[in-house]
Amino acid sequence: MAPLYALGCEGSANKLGIGVISHDPETNKTKILSNIRHTFVSPPGTGFLPKDTAAHHRAHFVSVAREALRAAKLSSPKDLSCICYTRGPGMGAPSRASPSRRAPCHIEMGRVITGADNPVVLYVSGGNTQVIAYAEQRYRIFGETLDIAVGNCIDRFARTLAIPNDPFPGYNVEQLAKKAFFKADGTTKREPILLDLPYAVKGMDCSFSGILGAADLLAAQMRKQDAILAGGGETVFAMLVEITERAMAHVGSKQVLVVGGVGCNERLQEMMGLMARDRGGSVYATDERFCIDNGIMIGLAGLLAWETGFRTPFEDSTCTQRFRTDEVHIKWRTD
Amino acid sequence: MAAATETDQFPCVLTVQVPFPTTRLASVALQSLQVDKELSPLVRRTFTISPPVSDADTTSDQEKTLHVEYRATTNRMLRVAVNSFMESLNLVIEVMEHLDADVLAAEAHSS
Repeated sequence: MAPLYALGCEGSANKLGIGVISHDPETNKTKILSNIRHTFVSPPGTGFLPKDTAAHHRAHFVSVAREALRAAKLSSPKDLSCICYTRGPGMGAPSRASPSRRAPCHIEMGRVITGADNPVVLYVSGGNTQVIAYAEQRYRIFGETLDIAVGNCIDRFARTLAIPNDPFPGYNVEQLAKKAFFKADGTTKREPILLDLPYAVKGMDCSFSGILGAADLLAAQMRKQDAILAGGGETVFAMLVEITERAMAHVGSKQVLVVGGVGCNERLQEMMGLMARDRGGSVYATDERFCIDNGIMIGLAGLLAWETGFRTPFEDSTCTQRFRTDEVHIKWRTD
Repeated sequence: MAAATETDQFPCVLTVQVPFPTTRLASVALQSLQVDKELSPLVRRTFTISPPVSDADTTSDQEKTLHVEYRATTNRMLRVAVNSFMESLNLVIEVMEHLDADVLAAEAHSS
């Protein structure tokens, strides 16, 4: 049997990503043929509004799709088995563009790229903070944020400090925070001064709004942006590592997979790696091409569902802003 | 009687007529636009294709017009709904122009 091809479209936040992916059901080999992304970057100090984001996606959809098809070098679009799009969750207006749900998509992509077979998954992005583990054809949520997502916390603090949104606020925050780990000469390493910030872990869940409030207050009082960013980073990442470790102990897994936009933060990967090494395991992470919302992750999860017989009639191809990770039946995994 | 109340409640009416060169394109446009439900309870809309599509002519090259009738409680709601419809319509037509199977095939031949 020849490999199957899918076109995946993701546009449920400020990134419009379209890609072509192939999967061979017999050999279970996955190949990425193209992965094109165009990001709506709002001016420093502002967030992306649904209306402007929708206009961005509409304006770029055709050119991004054409580039994805051209780069994939398919002989004809008729070779595509299915077109997959993000059903939810996300902002209503931009999503209007076989539906997939973002968390399982991120997870399947991470499993393929890193080769981790059954990890505990930390899904950290602008809209989600969840610790997830697979059991009996569902990705089950072990712990999650009680209020805002960790990425939202970082983005909003970046907005307070008017840090540029290009290429994305998390990257700029990470670069600024790194400065706190060096002396004024920029080369000699030192322990950063850690500012007192709330540490809000409640059982398997955590909370980020209090940290954001405290960081906003500190930002109004002092000028050392790098110290606040480094302190905030150490605190929120420690919280995430703690709840992930607890989930690993519970399910007896030694692998951690970090997915979602915040997952490309190298400090988070490093801290997670230290914890996993202590437990005799390892951390699996991908880079920004696959961590951040993209079309191929949607295409992959959609194609896997398609192979198990999942179809969506055209008149049912709607979007929803609310869609829980554990609502999706993971029919393609049998372990 | 029911029709009278409909006109009373939704007095502001605008019909958009979009001509398409083939039955297929007109049907594709209708299906893609209809799938996103009208979100406001203050606006009603109906889609029709004329001349009506029969089972026989789905592959014919007959010109068809897509009629979209918007009814709203106020002119303001009508404007908001039609503006957003126009944006979606614009994208649908752009996709037809650049991403339709025959367009891509023709492009692959010429390059």
